[in-house]
Amino acid sequence: MTADVTQSAATSWRHLAAGLRREDLAALIVFAVLAAIPLAVSGYVVFILPQYMLFGILALSLALLWGHAGIVSFGQAAFFAVGAYAMGLVMKHAALPINSAYVGILVGAAGGAAVALITGYFLFSAGVRATYFVVATLALSIIVEQTVKSFSNVTGGWNGLYVDRMTLTLGPLFELSLFDDAPMYYVILVIVLPAYVGVVALMRSRFGKIIVGIRENEDRMLALGFDVPLYKTLVFGLSGLLAGLAGALYATHANFAHPSNAGVLFSTQVVIWTAIGGRHSLLGAFVGAIVVASLSNYLNAVTPQYWQLLQGLVFIAVVIAFRRGLAGLAETLFGSRGRDRKRHGNAA
Amino acid sequence: MEIAVSVIADTILITLVLALAAFGLAIIYGLIGVINMGHGAMLTLGAYFTWWLTQHGLPFVPGVLLAAAAVGAVGLLFEHFIIRHFYDRPFDTLLLTWAFFLVATEVIKIVFGTDFRNVASPFAGAVDLGIYRVPAYKTVIAGLSILVILGTAVVFFKTTLGIKIRAMIQNRDMASLLGLNIAAMYKLVFGFGAFMAGLAGGLIAPMFSVDPYMGNTFLVRSFFVVIVGGIGQLLAGTLFGSFAIGGLETVLALFSDQVVAQIAVFFIAVIVLRFRPQGVFSGR
Amino acid sequence: MATLLRTEGLTKRFRGLVAADGLDFALMKGEVRCVIGPNGAGKTTFISMISGHVEPTAGRIYFKDRNITGLSVPRRAQLGIGRKFQTPSVFEGLSTFANLELAVLRRAKAKSERRRTIDAILETIRLGDARDTPAQFLSHGQRQWLEIGLLLANEVELLLLDEPTAGMTAEETAATGQLVHHLAADRDLSVIIIEHDINFVRELKAPITVLHLGRVLREGSFDEIADDEQIRQVYLGTAHA
Repeated sequence: MTADVTQSAATSWRHLAAGLRREDLAALIVFAVLAAIPLAVSGYVVFILPQYMLFGILALSLALLWGHAGIVSFGQAAFFAVGAYAMGLVMKHAALPINSAYVGILVGAAGGAAVALITGYFLFSAGVRATYFVVATLALSIIVEQTVKSFSNVTGGWNGLYVDRMTLTLGPLFELSLFDDAPMYYVILVIVLPAYVGVVALMRSRFGKIIVGIRENEDRMLALGFDVPLYKTLVFGLSGLLAGLAGALYATHANFAHPSNAGVLFSTQVVIWTAIGGRHSLLGAFVGAIVVASLSNYLNAVTPQYWQLLQGLVFIAVVIAFRRGLAGLAETLFGSRGRDRKRHGNAA
Repeated sequence: MEIAVSVIADTILITLVLALAAFGLAIIYGLIGVINMGHGAMLTLGAYFTWWLTQHGLPFVPGVLLAAAAVGAVGLLFEHFIIRHFYDRPFDTLLLTWAFFLVATEVIKIVFGTDFRNVASPFAGAVDLGIYRVPAYKTVIAGLSILVILGTAVVFFKTTLGIKIRAMIQNRDMASLLGLNIAAMYKLVFGFGAFMAGLAGGLIAPMFSVDPYMGNTFLVRSFFVVIVGGIGQLLAGTLFGSFAIGGLETVLALFSDQVVAQIAVFFIAVIVLRFRPQGVFSGR
Repeated sequence: MATLLRTEGLTKRFRGLVAADGLDFALMKGEVRCVIGPNGAGKTTFISMISGHVEPTAGRIYFKDRNITGLSVPRRAQLGIGRKFQTPSVFEGLSTFANLELAVLRRAKAKSERRRTIDAILETIRLGDARDTPAQFLSHGQRQWLEIGLLLANEVELLLLDEPTAGMTAEETAATGQLVHHLAADRDLSVIIIEHDINFVRELKAPITVLHLGRVLREGSFDEIADDEQIRQVYLGTAHA
């Protein structure tokens, strides 16, 4: 276990310190494939894949917290739902001179960030223990779910809220309805890609190193003069922003916001995606969500209970033995972990 | 006057039912520091086992006891094969017990189906106290809750076994050096906590319709009971915490609806968690 | 010479146990002071109150003529107070270089300047060869030095060292003494050292403060302290407060 912690800390640090890495090459391939898919196929895949990409961003928002900051959250769905409902409500009610979808996206992301910042500051400034924090995020998930269910005249309650497909506009010059799958697919990809790159770059910067330092030895970081609660709040706010952004885009893509976007079950699903994909790897979480969600889509139609059961068992296996998830397996296969092991083996 | 009596009566009943439901969690977290995220699932299992046994002709009381024992056994198996390797890593036990919830829920769905089930209440109707009619069954449960909690407290504080367990909690290494079998103690506590959860589930079953997720509503509430009341304060903490959470919910529900009341209580509980994470009663 | 640190009537009561009883203490800039005393004398409590980890029941602490009594741990670290814990607290999973880099990061500097600073510190703490070694593979003595290195990288002015030579070899202990002198003389740092190793204290040739039952018993040079009959009795346990 200790050796594994060493590997993960040393590897993350090396990734942070150096420039382009193998993971970046893999990311390049992943996004190239994603960009190419609508050119090669059509139909259902082009429809559903953007939703899974957004799930990927959602999983990434958790990996940011869990793998990098060492903060587990069972409440990412809360921010996702805030984003989804914000989008729905803005598009429905706002009479704005600019594209209400753009505003909706901003409000969704900002809403997710705001809820996270407030909750984070409230809890971290008191030094709330990590295990209690998990319970609080679980409660947050339930609070959001119950809230959208009960204020039904605004949110549509149990039935959810219908959301239009957004229109892509550039002032008065350009207007394209995103009703068709392919254009919508690319719009989402064009937002998802910079989001991924931005987060990766941020986590390799000074900020990212500080976050990892907090995970490695919080007391030492405090004693070195870092405002640890502030950094934790910021990283939590970032994860809320990403989740809210994903939720807002999801709402316009899937045409609805629904209480099931919040709640314990969806929050748990995010944890499973991130665990299986690899909590220490942003790319791993992103791809893991896409892969597992795709499998779920197929297997849920065939045998929902056994598939859910299998996920639960795989989750146990990941927690016990495969802590680095699919990303860890990939790293072992493609050599970067082997290289690290050699270096440490020869150390004094 | 009547409203006051009904509020008081409701509050007492809800407090005690919630105390019973939270007790298993309080035991496990308070004594061995494991946040059992599978607590709700154990409750649900207790309810389903009770349903199955009563469906097959067993009377209610033996049915509940057997169901609770079965859940206790399941808990013991889970402890033995998985949990006991992770006691020094609280995060992992949290995730693994959550995985227990996932797996158990799916198994329930596979074995018992997803339809709502019903367990007939052994004491139907209400007791007329003159000013207020108290639901008979709920009253019995409330009484049992007091018995169970007091009984456990007696064992904990007055018996040799209780002393051993308390010694182990105070100083695990020392207790081990003194020859106490730590592994066995942990098993006992975990199994007993599971048994309690199963018992609560079986007893509560007639009050709600039984579905695969029924235990979950009690999961977060139970956490808040333990956090507000005080970790490790099994008697006073559980009762006070239940009173705070249950009572607050009842009172708030008078002014709005049940859902809003629940949201408000969660809000307040999170606030308490922040300002006094060790609970009201904790001596630590 | 300016007074860097001053405490007035510093008191700490833990539910009936008096760990510190009206401590008046002063330290100059660039001064090294050893704090010794039998177990339970309140040495670690004293240090903890200065670093901010323990809140005093009464009394005040002045750092650079500023009242820091209510400030948080990070705030005091930002002002220049650095603490080395009894059990070395470093980043086990990171290399020596990465450890120091993290400490330097607080004052954001250009990458090249960071590297130079870190290399200089590596030399000072004699860990140049262990640059890429993960901290958990360092020897116990090397870990202590790394922790001191973290504080140097953090630009501290007051070093609080809690038993720095515990678990060290004789050679490492001697090197630590040299390090302390170098830091005080060449970098003008002030150092408070809690120690049990009497040889180390003697070799250090620094003024000593003896604590007993939370109070300052005596202050003086090593020879003065060593000759003091009362202090000998305190250590042997035969004296009373």
